[in-house]
Amino acid sequence: MSVNATLDREREPAPRRRASLDFVHEVQQFLYREARLLDEQRYDDWFELMTEDFTYWVPVPQSRYRRDKKPTYEPGRMAHFDDTLTELKLRASRWKEKTAWSEDPPTRNVHYVTNIEIAPAEGAQDWLVRSVAISLRTRNEDEENWLGGRREDLIRETPDGLKLVRRWVFLTQTVLLSKNFNTFI
Amino acid sequence: MVDTLQPPVAAPATDFDFHRLVDVEAGWIDRRIFWDEGIYQLELERIFARCWAFVGHESQFAAPGDFVTTYIGQDAVIVAKDRRGEVNVFLNSCTHRGNRVCFAETGSTRQFTCNFHGWAFGLDGGLISAHEEHHYSRCATFDKSKLGLHRARTATYKGLIFATFDPEAPSLDEYLGDYRYYLDVLLDNDPGGTEFLDGNVKSRLRCNWKFAAENFVGDAYHAGWTHASAAAALFQRDVKVNPAHSYQANINGHGTEFGLDLFGNAMALAEPEVVEYLKENEARFAERLGKLRSRMVGAMSSSNVFPNLAYLTGLNTWRVWVPKGPHEIELNTWVLVNRDMPKRLKEAYRRGVSRTFSPTGMFESDDGENWEHCTHSNAGVVTRRQKLHYGLGLDSRMEHEEFPGAVYHVQLNDANQRAFYQRWADLMSASRWADVPKR
Repeated sequence: MSVNATLDREREPAPRRRASLDFVHEVQQFLYREARLLDEQRYDDWFELMTEDFTYWVPVPQSRYRRDKKPTYEPGRMAHFDDTLTELKLRASRWKEKTAWSEDPPTRNVHYVTNIEIAPAEGAQDWLVRSVAISLRTRNEDEENWLGGRREDLIRETPDGLKLVRRWVFLTQTVLLSKNFNTFI
Repeated sequence: MVDTLQPPVAAPATDFDFHRLVDVEAGWIDRRIFWDEGIYQLELERIFARCWAFVGHESQFAAPGDFVTTYIGQDAVIVAKDRRGEVNVFLNSCTHRGNRVCFAETGSTRQFTCNFHGWAFGLDGGLISAHEEHHYSRCATFDKSKLGLHRARTATYKGLIFATFDPEAPSLDEYLGDYRYYLDVLLDNDPGGTEFLDGNVKSRLRCNWKFAAENFVGDAYHAGWTHASAAAALFQRDVKVNPAHSYQANINGHGTEFGLDLFGNAMALAEPEVVEYLKENEARFAERLGKLRSRMVGAMSSSNVFPNLAYLTGLNTWRVWVPKGPHEIELNTWVLVNRDMPKRLKEAYRRGVSRTFSPTGMFESDDGENWEHCTHSNAGVVTRRQKLHYGLGLDSRMEHEEFPGAVYHVQLNDANQRAFYQRWADLMSASRWADVPKR
């Protein structure tokens, strides 16, 4: 896991091999397009970017003392998302209903993606892609919410192009500073 | 030695006639109760500093040293288990300069040491030591036995831990009264008892705390409309309640609206194993709860324990509406399960509740939108003059041979909301617990 409360950690090794400039460009374009699809609320197109066994985990961080043995983020705790692709589609299906009153007028979304780092992963076609994502949402007259986190994606090269296999998002907010989170990040 | 804890100062809002602001006989509510700063300050004194507040579940305190930080009203408190196995609740504010003592949400510790001057407090809140304590050797008022963090009274009910800062408050059993009959639906349907799943979800809503509380105490009416999109996505149909076999019941401002459909709420988890569990165990639930209550374990229902603890049967979300001013709350939620339930079922609840009743969930995100705008429309002075209608089911009171409390026919009803505001007005009007009537 990328974030832990303790400062007493092993030194991080230098990357084993570097992605080519062409591949970095391809991954960047993939992530930018993905962010735009979320801004435009084109969820069916967004889900096309995932493998069938895609999993999405957004744990709720806990503010603990550094000396605490338990980490800030831990699997098995309550999470904002801990979903399979089918379950994500179920969540998104609600937003398409005409009766989703609180989505009409729609929320204005911007998903900002930056700090992209690409490292080889275990599978020959797989890459560990780190990024920072920030979601800006504006609703009604004066409701504005920012939510940011560090992402760790597993991205696979397939005959159909790049696909997301797994996404973890480590948010900074322990208390979600808004009434809901009605998009993905 | 001076008494370091001062008596409460009466806030100016005591001039209001609270039983006129909430006309529960005719069903009209004055909107100033959702907006006025003076009324809110008096709520902190007369409701939150006096009522029994939910502060945690025993399963969160497995070992000595385990603690969580939370709030009673806007008073920050630490809840900690000491070496004798007692769970203590005390203010999270140093007796020296008032700094917050503990900044972690949860964890395990031997003591709580203030960052400012190193005053260290034990798991029972007592002052253990101070940094370079010898400076105080000739200070007559430095009496460590009197400089501990101010403690609340604590009591438990079937795993739930409550606390109050009012020495005159009735016992927790008396405070909950016959509402315990309804609490047992979730707290006592299995011999192994209950536990909270690990972790919780917190979020901020810009609404008055009472809109959230009244929604859970008795607003079955909103479900079919507000949550139509979630129902359509999950079930491809509307949410409908059964008028023949559904009820509202309230005692001392606590209330529950419910059907007898066993798994109506649980269906929303979209975890078939949970519904199977409820069906397979109905007879076992009945052994402990009787036949009628066994039908409530996962039923279409919502409930609120006065003032700000709420839960849903079937979905098993437990939550506190923590006030953060007249127009804001922090919503703090946990998931309660039977301790002896198979692990895969606990996992189904954990993931299912996230998809439904969490800030990312299909139901909860609609609720917050409503409550925020019900609150903020009251910024308008003319808008505030328009009383709100709480008249549904004024003629629906009934007698029931088993259900305790004031019982009402059909869960689509404002009866529990009226009872909630009656209790609110009772407490807001009374300067002493002795003047608060039993309802």
